[in-house]
Amino acid sequence: MSEWTPNPRPPDDTSVVQEHRNWFQLQIVLLICRFTPTCPEVIGILSLGMDKPLPLTTRVKLRIHYLMCSFCERYAKQLKYMREVAREFPEKIGEISDAKLPTEAKERLKEALRQ
Amino acid sequence: MSLRPGGIDGGMTKEIVERAASAVAGNDPAAWVDEHGDVLYRYALARVRKPDVAQDLVQETFLAAIRGHEKFAGQSSIRSWLCGILKHKLCDYYRKLGRETSFTDLEFLDDECAEKFVPEGYWVHMNGPKEWKPEADEVMHRDEFWQVMRDCLGKLPERIATVFMMREMDEIESKEICATLSISDSNLWVMLHRARMALRECLATNWFENPEVQH
Repeated sequence: MSEWTPNPRPPDDTSVVQEHRNWFQLQIVLLICRFTPTCPEVIGILSLGMDKPLPLTTRVKLRIHYLMCSFCERYAKQLKYMREVAREFPEKIGEISDAKLPTEAKERLKEALRQ
Repeated sequence: MSLRPGGIDGGMTKEIVERAASAVAGNDPAAWVDEHGDVLYRYALARVRKPDVAQDLVQETFLAAIRGHEKFAGQSSIRSWLCGILKHKLCDYYRKLGRETSFTDLEFLDDECAEKFVPEGYWVHMNGPKEWKPEADEVMHRDEFWQVMRDCLGKLPERIATVFMMREMDEIESKEICATLSISDSNLWVMLHRARMALRECLATNWFENPEVQH
């Protein structure tokens, strides 16, 4: 059996399938690997899922994949996190940026508006 | 009832005065420019990156606002109404851009970020995503965060950033983005996927895993 095993749970994670796996846990992980997409595929699917609903079977596969891969689970959370903050960006950028409409542009603008 | 100055009547008067004040401001375009010009310009600049294009867009926004002034019913603030117009102007601008260029950025899209994954197709243990703290609603109050966000968006190739911002900030449906930019569904998906990957990476490195900005 090879030394390398896919995606151990990070030390702060206490779920069933974790860093130091016993033989039985490893078999479960390898089984999950066979039947769910790989991580690069998963993050592609997750991105797609942000724009259109995913089929039920795909969503189930993702859930099963998360059992052995908290990285992808985090990635999914972070996509939602980014969406949440991105929506606030247009408003915030007006407050934190120090760019100013040049004075001559403002004058030109006022002139155009008067006509 | 009428003896109490701060009662219902008092509140209503205040509201009427405020409404009248905003109506006066609404009739003076020059005041609009001074009050909202910079904010609109900053947003436009973050979106199109070129100062002259941003200025043009702000001007078009104000002109459209004057023309459609009667349509402004006062349910929202003047600023958010103006921002709404600016978003439409940005869309028009992108539509033109979509026709003029092929709207892909192959070099950026080709980057497979090989160092993130082992050949078998799983995260390299050390490089997998780490937990993001604090939560989104907390982070939004930090000016430094928005600066990092702005810089990270600025690092994306312009067209990639454009599709990301249309989707996530303007909340335009993907079908509509495809039509506006004349790109295919799969092309859009690749661009959005890459944008999200790169932005996530950039935010993680420069904010969430950067001890200097976190206290």
